[in-house]
Formats: sequence, structure tokens, C-alpha cells
Amino acid sequence: MKTKLNRRDFVAKSVWGATASLSLPGFLQQTLLNLDARAQSLPSPGGEGPIVLLMELAGGNDTLNTLVPYTNSIYNEARPTLKLGAEHGIINITDKDAPSAAGGVEPLAFHPNLGAFNTLWNDGEMGIINGVSYPNPSLSHFTSFDYWHSAEPNSVVKDGWVGRYLDNQCDGCGATTGIYINRRPTLAFASAEGLSPTVTFANPQYFNWNDQVSLGKEKSLEGLYRNLIGLDHAVDDGISQTDDTLAYVQRAAHSAMISTASVQSAIEQGGTLLNNSWPDNGLSRSLQTIAQLIKGQSETSIYYARQGGYDTHNNQIFDGDPLTGRHFTLLQTLNNSLDAFIQEMKLQGNWDRVLILTFSEFGRKVIQNGSLGTDHGAAESLFVMGGRVNGNQFFGEYPDLAEDARIKNNSLDFNIDFRTVYRSVLEKWMGVPASAMPAIFPSQPVNFDPLDIIKPL
Amino acid sequence: MLDPLPQESWTRRNANHLLQRAGFGGSPDEQEAFYQLGSEQGIEAAVDSLLETSEDWSSVPWPFWAGGETDPNGDDYAGQAVRRRDVTQWYFECLTEGQPLAAKLLKFFADHFAIDSATINQYYRQIGLLRYFETLRRHAAGNVAGEDHPFEGDERLVPDGHYGNFRTLVNHVSWSIAMIRTLDLYVSTANNINENFGRELLELFSFGIGQAYTDLDDEYTEEDVVAAAKAFTGRKIYNFRWGVRNDAANQNPPLPPASVYQNNNQQDNSAKTFYGSSSMPGGGNIVDGDDIIELIFQTDRCPKHLSWKLWRYFASPDPSKELVAALATRMRDTHDYEIRPFLKDIFLSSEFYDESVLNAQIKDAGDYLVCVTKQLGTQLPTRDAVEDIMQQLGYEIYFPPSIAGWPEPDGSGNTWLSTGAMVFRMNMASIWSHHNFNIFTTGRTRNAMAEFEEVDWNTIAPPHLRPVENFPLLLEALLGRMLPNRELRKSQVRTLYDRYSSVSSQLGSLEGVKELVRLILSLPEYQIQ
Repeated sequence: MKTKLNRRDFVAKSVWGATASLSLPGFLQQTLLNLDARAQSLPSPGGEGPIVLLMELAGGNDTLNTLVPYTNSIYNEARPTLKLGAEHGIINITDKDAPSAAGGVEPLAFHPNLGAFNTLWNDGEMGIINGVSYPNPSLSHFTSFDYWHSAEPNSVVKDGWVGRYLDNQCDGCGATTGIYINRRPTLAFASAEGLSPTVTFANPQYFNWNDQVSLGKEKSLEGLYRNLIGLDHAVDDGISQTDDTLAYVQRAAHSAMISTASVQSAIEQGGTLLNNSWPDNGLSRSLQTIAQLIKGQSETSIYYARQGGYDTHNNQIFDGDPLTGRHFTLLQTLNNSLDAFIQEMKLQGNWDRVLILTFSEFGRKVIQNGSLGTDHGAAESLFVMGGRVNGNQFFGEYPDLAEDARIKNNSLDFNIDFRTVYRSVLEKWMGVPASAMPAIFPSQPVNFDPLDIIKPL
Repeated sequence: MLDPLPQESWTRRNANHLLQRAGFGGSPDEQEAFYQLGSEQGIEAAVDSLLETSEDWSSVPWPFWAGGETDPNGDDYAGQAVRRRDVTQWYFECLTEGQPLAAKLLKFFADHFAIDSATINQYYRQIGLLRYFETLRRHAAGNVAGEDHPFEGDERLVPDGHYGNFRTLVNHVSWSIAMIRTLDLYVSTANNINENFGRELLELFSFGIGQAYTDLDDEYTEEDVVAAAKAFTGRKIYNFRWGVRNDAANQNPPLPPASVYQNNNQQDNSAKTFYGSSSMPGGGNIVDGDDIIELIFQTDRCPKHLSWKLWRYFASPDPSKELVAALATRMRDTHDYEIRPFLKDIFLSSEFYDESVLNAQIKDAGDYLVCVTKQLGTQLPTRDAVEDIMQQLGYEIYFPPSIAGWPEPDGSGNTWLSTGAMVFRMNMASIWSHHNFNIFTTGRTRNAMAEFEEVDWNTIAPPHLRPVENFPLLLEALLGRMLPNRELRKSQVRTLYDRYSSVSSQLGSLEGVKELVRLILSLPEYQIQ
């Protein structure tokens, strides 16, 4: 008997087809399958291989106030009350300036709350990708995020880029290859085949089959549920052939059944985290769950976390003080939570396995609005972090504020397509061959050469 | 297109489908009575019985503190959290106890016009929320007995309320504290335009974007967003902060606290060009927000978007563009955006009973909670339990995932079933069957399930059905109640039988019944309607 179900087995045995062991007596067959499904939930030995953490900043992060072009007169003119300067404790990047789309360079500084980012930069563990967006950027949160998730800008969205990557490259993967810590799924994980080995849950405590203390001898619901949804049935696989909606729910139930064991096993094995100082907020809790899964050697290679609230049309700062307000708090939460996570990865000895990519659906307009806030814009800056990231490097060019604020509708122009960033992560970090890119990115940007975001060995 | 369903097609299956989609299903007796009504008096009589606008919501009054003279938020955060749970409970009571179609529409509006209490912020948050939902539920109920009622969101600016009309509803929403706060209208002035509301008005509430429902009609442009944003300037909330007076105190007549007013000095009064028009149809300049709404609702695109959304909500995820165009004509030209007459056309149409529509929806979290409550003839779980459940299912009515509400990119309902939500749904059925709430929560001492009424098991499963040899009859009775249009697979029936006989013999037949109910509620089949 195989000790580990790979994805093809998972599909063949659990979702689509009958099993091969039809000749066995029913009870034995069921036992074997149960064992098999348990076995596949065991993490791969050693917890090896690269990990990506996709860090979604939802609402449209104002990267102009995240990575501040503090010497730029246009910035200071466009943001009379929102602007950040030395008096606010911005952290100047002193070792080098960013190349500018206007020619020359743009001196930049981190928001005062991004001390951990600065440390990573100085340690050579963070790269900054400036001027990221896509052609004809949408100013709608929902459309733009659909584009970021599907990696198919300006077309009808049907599946996600992670889903396509797994469909294409992940035949040997277990059922929890992608994990999103959230209550609702992300389009990025959606697969046209409907079989992407990804799961989404918010709280691991509830991602389990709860014992029914009132029900007498048999306490576990899992076996019953497996039966009811046809997971172990030899002939009747429990997936409707005629009813698409029902089949969808049945597959969701099968996937839930298989992945809970995997997640609970890793959480249990992970045990207590090594860093005992985590901030108390939702993002931090998501990252703690992820850290626990990594420590427990979950077979997961793509983690996804989300921090909302970046739609700062108003009260981006409170009256007169840029060291208050919504953006200030958001970046503090982001910095402190990621910092705790990174410390944990270092203590675990996993920091060299992890790459973190932050992204938002768009940046914000150059010129502030009348409500101490900023409206929806276009290009943004991305941060890529990790023990093996080719850090202390700028990628792309910093947009030309003068040109963009005055001529181009007040939104920053892009020079790096986000699909190129995704490709760089897959190709340079996950080791996906270049030949797979057309399948993963059916529509490719003009300049699709991967960025050197990983240090050469 | 939209031909009425022939009388000979009125089957129990179709009757149950209509009862489920226009409301939340019914008990076996209600199912039968509804079917007989349609058989004896015709389908239209059955549909009309669903559309009666008798709802005045008097059975679900606002929480007591809403009418008080003191700061309704309470003194501290804990007090505010209690208020928030009160609002949640009030909302779900509206869904459970209100007229079913009105409740279903209220749920639609709460999604279509989603608001976020985090941005409504501290002051008058609860009052703003309640008034907002009150406006939505009045529109959902339609004009009771044909009477117009005053619009309570703002007494000065909006003409006496005519409820149950989509265009009027958008207008009322644009004058509500909750939306003015959520989408930043209160800070948008002629000199400092904030485009948030203008953009979402076009994208979410009216025109929509993309080609899913039309490829004939132009999309709005960024210039249109700016024009709309300029038109909606100067809308302010009077005395918004408790104890703080502002210039509206001098308004004549004086305004009650927390009402909305137009500050003429902060309004952009310029003539605008919008969606290809430079003047109003009857002549005159395009100036304010009311003008913009009037123009939007005359376009071809707006009724298509709204018809598409309503069809997706009541019927199926992927209506054809031809069907949407036919619906849009009914919505705008035949019914002038009156919602119930439009829905009547949908419920009578043969398209609504197509095989691709039946059972094509996943119950959203609200559907699930209301259906299970009604089917088991019980009441809602305790206030705190409802909030906890909805947090896990991703349906916190005042914290939408985004201001687009609860979006469904993959077709109707799919996004309701994250893996975690699926697991939770399969587990949580025992809340109803076994009062087993404690395992779904930690550190909550408020969730004493003693105040949650026990299901009347003698009605659900009369004792004469409980002997193991009567299992087929028992199962038939339970499925007729909970899964009327479904057949289970043999292997499922076998598992249910094994479990029923095992638990019954160990713990007695009542425990067997509870277990059976729990397992039926946990089935993938139960997640669908």
C-alpha cells in the first residue's frame, strides 16, 4: 500500500472514480481507504521545499505613503497634509536610491512604522518592486482584484493563477498544497477543473470534526460523514453526474473531509510556536496559524493571508497628524505581524524556505482628496521578502510623479506587469519551468522576463 | 421569452421550488396548501399570495434603546458589542418572522447596498445602521396597502416615501446616514471631491461593469465617475456626534439629531455632462445627485444590471443576455422599477422553472439559518449564538467582505462554501438537533442554550413513526420537511438507517430522531436549494 496519496490518486480515488480494490470485502476496503487517506495527510518528511506566502493588502494600499519619495517636490505639493517627512520619523533608505522612470533616481524612505521592513532591507532580505500594475488599470476594487487573482487583466475572469499553476504543475501534490487563512475563498485559488488542491479556513479550531459528547459510544463524526458523502464507497463515489451544483458541494465536502485530517495533524505536530511575542490582531492570528502549519511540516507550498482596510478615502490620517489614522495603524499591524512571523521562521530554521510577497489591488492617487484620504489609483510598490530573496535591490522604476500627477489622471503609471512578478516567483523560487508559463499565464504582458528576485546559490 | 408557465406544468416540485426561492420554503402542510392553491385557483393566484404586501414589520420592533435619548452606543466597547449583536438579532428576526418574500428581498438589498459599520464609525453607528435597515426593509415590504409612508432616513429632503421601487430605493440610500458615512459622502464637497460614493453608485448600485449581461451598452467612463461625484456633494449629517452641535442646529425648521441635510454652500452647482447627456430629458442642466440617479435609471444598461442581479438571486447564476434584455424591458418599461410586479413576471415565467434553475443555488448563510429555523418550527438560537455562527459562515451583516457585499464570482453561491465554511456547516447542525452549541465556541459564557427552545420532536417525528421497522416512513417525513425536492442515494439511506437503529437501540428513539435530523442537515444536498 502506498503511504502517501498523491494528487492524482486523490482525484482518482476520492473525487472522481471508483477505487482499484473492488475485490476486497467492504469493511476491509473501507479500513484501507481510511488508512490511506490518513497516510496521505502525513506531512512530507523534513518539511522541505520552497514556500510562498502571498500577503494580500485589500482595499488599495497607498504605497506613496508606504515608501515615501520624500525629496520629490510633486509629492510634497500633492499631499499638503498627508505627506510624511523627517519630522515624522520616516526611515530613509540610505544605501541606494531607486531608479526613476523620469530618469535619474528617486530617494525613498519607509513609513515610520515599517522598522522591520527597513531591517530586512538592510539585511539583504527584502527586494522592492516599484511601478507594478497592468495595462488599462481598472479603478474598481473588485475588477482589479479579479485581474490580480486571475492574472488575466481585461478579460472575463474564470479561474485563478494559483489554481492554474497547481492544475498544471502539481500532479504529485497533496490536498492542502494551497492554504488560505480566511472565511471566504479567493479567486486566485480557483481552478477551471474545480480540483485545485487548496483549502480555505479561518480558524483551525473549527476546521475539525467535532465530537458529539451527547451521542453515546461513537464520538467521532468523521466516519459517518465519510459514509454519507460517499467518500469511501466502492461504487458510488457520491458525486452527482447530472447536477453541477450538487457535484460542486459534494466535491467541497470531500475536499473538506480529506484536508481537515491533514491540517489537524500538522497543527498538532507544530505544537507551540517558538516566538512567544506576537501582536494581538487578526493578521497576526492568521500568520500564527500559518507558522504552526509550517512548523508541523504541512505539505503546503502556497500560503495566502489577507489584511483588509486599505481603502483609505478618508481619515488616512486624523486631523493634522500623519502619525495617526487608518493607514498608520494598518502599517503598524502589517509590520509587527510580519516581523513576528519572520522571527518565528528564523527560530524554526525555515526562513530560507519562505518567500513573502505583498500586493494590493491598486495603489492610490498621487494628489490627496479633501477628506484626509486618497482615491483609487493604479501602480503600486510590492515587497518581496525571504531568507533567500535577492534583497537590498530595487526592481522596476519608480514612477514619474510629475508626469503622472499632472498629465495622466493623477494615477501612477506602471513599468512592471504584475504577471511578470508572479512568473518570477514561480520560476525563480518554485522552480517551475519557463515552458509551463503559457499554460499558467495564457495572456502574457509585453515584457515577461522574470526578475532576479532570488539570490544565486 | 418570459411566457407564463402553463397551468399543466404546476407540479409539487415546481410549487416547492417557487416557495423556496420566493421565501424560505415551508412546512409539509404549507407546501401542500400552496400546491393546492395553484392547482385550484391557478398559478397566478399562488404567485399573488407570495406577493401580498401586508408586511408592516410590526412583529419585529427596533431594539428598545433605539428610541432612547441617550447615546445608543452605551458607555464602553462591551456595550457597543452588545448593541451590535442586537442589530444582528433584529436583522435575522426580520428574516425569520417577516413575510417571506419581503425577508428575501431585505436580504438581497442588504447585499446589494452593503454597508460597513466599521466605517460608519462610533457615533450614531447603531442608529445609522438601524435606520438604514429600516429603509431597506420597507422597500422590501413594498407599499403596505398601497399607502405611501414618510421616509424616515431624512424627513426634509426626500419626498414622502414611495417604497418598493428600485429607483426610489437608490435615492433613499443616497440620503441615508449609513451610506453617507460608509462611502464618504459626508466629506465630499464642491472644493474637495471624494469620489467613493459616485464610483460605487455607478459600479455597484446601478450600471455595473463588464459584459456578463450586455455587450450592447456602453460602460460608464472615469469622467462619468467624476461628474457623479461632483453632483453628490454637500450631503451632511446633522448633529452626528453625540453632544456636538454643528451649523445645522440653525436650520429652519430645526432638524432632529442624526438627520441628513444638504449644505448648499458645499454643493457643486455646475452643469455636468453624464453618460453622453448634457441636459436632463425635460430640459435643464444636470446638477445634483437626484438628477444623476434619474438619468441612470433611464439608460438601457442599468435595468439590465439590476435584472441580472435579481435573476441570479432568485433563479440561477447564468441567465442568457437575451433573457436579461427581456427582463430589463419589463423592469424599466413595463413596471417603471416597481419591484414586486417585476418579480411577479419572474415567478410566472416558464424560464424560472427550467431544469437549469431548479436546485441550482447554494443556500447562503442567511438562507441556511432561516430555512432550518422554519423547517424545524423553532426559534433562532440565542443572540450571541447567531453572531458566532454568522462569523464562522462569513455573513456578518454589518461587516461585508467588501462594499460590494458578498460577491459571487464563480456563480451563485459558490463563494459561500470555503472549505472551512463547509466543515462548519456539517458540524453545526447539532446546534438545532442537540442544543450542542458549546463545541463551536470557546470562552463564551453568554451562550446558555437553555433559552433556545427545543424542537417539538413530536411534530417533526410523531412517535408512531419511530419504531425502527417504520424507518422508511420516518425518513420520508423528515425528507419531506427538510429536503422536499430531493432523493437520497441508496448508500446514504443505508448509512442513515444503520445510524438510526444503532443510536435508537442504545439511547432510545428520540435520540435516534435527533441524530437523523442532524445528519440530514449535514448533507451536501441540504446546502442546495
